[in-house]
Amino acid sequence: MTGRRGRFWSNAMAVAYKETRILRHDRAFIAVIVAQPIMMLVLQGAVLSNKPANVPWAVLDWSRSAVARRFITEVQATGYFLPPRPVASYEEGRQLLRRGDALAFVVIPEKLARDVERRAPRVQLLLDGSDPLSAARVGGYIAQVGAALDLGTDRLEEARPAVPRQGSGPIDVRQRFWFNPTLADRRFFLSALAGMLLTNLCLSVMSLAMVGERESGTYEQMLALPTSSLEIVIGKVAPYVAVSYALMVVSVAAAGVIFGVWPHGSWLTLAIATLPFVLSSLAIGVFVSALARTSAQAVFIAVFFILPSFILSGVIYPYQFMPPGVREVGGLFPLRWYQIALRRIIERGAGLADVAGPMLALTVLFAVLLIGIRWRMKPRLG
Amino acid sequence: MSWRRLRTLLRREMLATYRDPFTMSILVAVPLCALLLFGFVLSTTVKHMALGVHDASDTPASRRLVADLSASGTFDPRRFATREALERALVSGKVSTALVIPPDFARQLGDPTPGSARPQVQVLYDGGEAPLAGNAEAFLRALVASTGAELVEGERPRASRGAGIDVVTRALFNPTLDGVPFMVSGTFGFVLSFLTTLITAVSIVNERQAGTFDQLQVTPATAVEILLGKILPLGAVFVVDVILMMLIGGVVLRVWPQGNILFFVSVSAFYVLVSLALGLIFSATSATPAEAVQKTVLFSIPLVQLSGFAFPIRNMPAIVRWLTELLPATHYIRLSRAIYLRGAGPLTLLPELGFLVLFGVILIGYALRTIEARG
Repeated sequence: MTGRRGRFWSNAMAVAYKETRILRHDRAFIAVIVAQPIMMLVLQGAVLSNKPANVPWAVLDWSRSAVARRFITEVQATGYFLPPRPVASYEEGRQLLRRGDALAFVVIPEKLARDVERRAPRVQLLLDGSDPLSAARVGGYIAQVGAALDLGTDRLEEARPAVPRQGSGPIDVRQRFWFNPTLADRRFFLSALAGMLLTNLCLSVMSLAMVGERESGTYEQMLALPTSSLEIVIGKVAPYVAVSYALMVVSVAAAGVIFGVWPHGSWLTLAIATLPFVLSSLAIGVFVSALARTSAQAVFIAVFFILPSFILSGVIYPYQFMPPGVREVGGLFPLRWYQIALRRIIERGAGLADVAGPMLALTVLFAVLLIGIRWRMKPRLG
Repeated sequence: MSWRRLRTLLRREMLATYRDPFTMSILVAVPLCALLLFGFVLSTTVKHMALGVHDASDTPASRRLVADLSASGTFDPRRFATREALERALVSGKVSTALVIPPDFARQLGDPTPGSARPQVQVLYDGGEAPLAGNAEAFLRALVASTGAELVEGERPRASRGAGIDVVTRALFNPTLDGVPFMVSGTFGFVLSFLTTLITAVSIVNERQAGTFDQLQVTPATAVEILLGKILPLGAVFVVDVILMMLIGGVVLRVWPQGNILFFVSVSAFYVLVSLALGLIFSATSATPAEAVQKTVLFSIPLVQLSGFAFPIRNMPAIVRWLTELLPATHYIRLSRAIYLRGAGPLTLLPELGFLVLFGVILIGYALRTIEARG
């Protein structure tokens, strides 16, 4: 019995050794390992942001009053906007919106100064609704500036409270952003970076590994050896687990060194949570490999698995926004659970107990995939 | 260029393309899946977000505030008896936004003395989910402000209106700020850039491997004829894809183009040619189909993230903003959104159209050279 088990591991090790030797000379693999992480790190850390910036806007000022100029200066002072573009007519402003050269168009009526006296001043704001998220935020900023504007007329002075007001509106909203006080998108994107890179690596490389063998006929040769298909799979998977761990450590450390986003939780927790994810991602790669007939097909299937998993898992876009139904479909992708675990560990400093849920889900996925592979990978020739 | 030779080449390519069921199913299934996926999932509307509420005041006024927050469908409030329970839920990620109403909320609301403190509420966001928190903030502030105004009016009829200018907002082109049209119109750019490049790259590398590409080069066919023979049959499939996506987008997602449909289809058709030429160039520099696919995938990451498809370009640093102008996809996505969402015509979009033509000339010219050069 022990002898048999000993042979099992030595067989698996032999396949792993062979696989590692091949990997070292695979140029495409090296490119995936080196180029992709650098590109993604820069994109996620320095480029992507949902926070409005450089917003182009136009102003049609009929009133030409001091109040109007103060309002415009205050909007400008929020820092989200480019210098406003003065327009001469309503039509010109609408044209700018239509071309996309302005996101917001403020129309200040002629009677603004008089309306201030009557305590009912109002300005009109036209937004380009075709980009709803930016429009909602920009509209919010301008409305807040308007509401908080100190009109400084004598008659209002007595009604106003002695204490200077913070913010606006009848109810004082005191808000705090936990875990990320400045609400930088960078933290959001970088904390899930490792998950994206590992998905890419495990799927695209693993799916090719098996088909490649079958195409070149070496898979049949391996079957002829005294190795079982389970030993082959374990031997093929082991080197990639090692590479995945290296990539995970490098990407998390790089986010820390370059962008200052260090994990709040422990590295040990991170390492433990990574294992079920890497295993299930590799298992998907093996499964794709078993489905495809040529390597081009394998890469196609892998790519069309990677893209939806990026979108549905919530690494780029919060899954909380997704409609029910779609949200559950996203749960079928290992990346969903891993990004939840990553965010908890890196941003909130969660311990093992806090990520037990996602880890359990990943383990279940892995078990299901193993059954699927067992069923598909019966040793067949020809 | 002879029409007879071109016709023969076209027939050859059509047979080769249309007979492969795997490629054909990808050509039809991927655009439609992408459309539904992006349309349903990435629509940026905030709906049914878990909102933890600790209502220490527990008065009609505070209950009214919470009820108004849930009535809009944006938030699903969940009550927590203690502040500690609420904070635990936030840390564990069960809720991403938390509202704390202090015990003296109603008293301060009803306080008629001028100069008294305004009623306060506290809002805690899970900043780890930055996009979520940012959106929740915008919506929550607006909802609290409007409910607050009504509550104050009811409680303090004699109180004066607050200072400030009332900003009357109206969103053009999309009054309800629905997120679906934005994503649907962008998906065209994504599909036409990514899939076209991928398919040509693979088809040509396959031919190079089989040696049939070299055979093609020694026939009397000129480079232009080979290029057209390769590009037109695939281009036809993609134009069908565009029309199919437009129909599905209209029927299922209820997003029809605002602008001229014919104009949109012709701009898309031209962009398909540009994109196919890019695929040709990728394939010229790859030895195996797998390598060509890897290159396309590597290229598609900046494509999704830099072209303005998912993230507004103006939020990016200045150097990157310049770089994005070098991607043909950036210009096509801008065009398709302008036509689809804002109903813009050719005259308004002249500069963008010029850019696209310029890219077309450069890329198609370069693709011709790679065909002429013996591989």
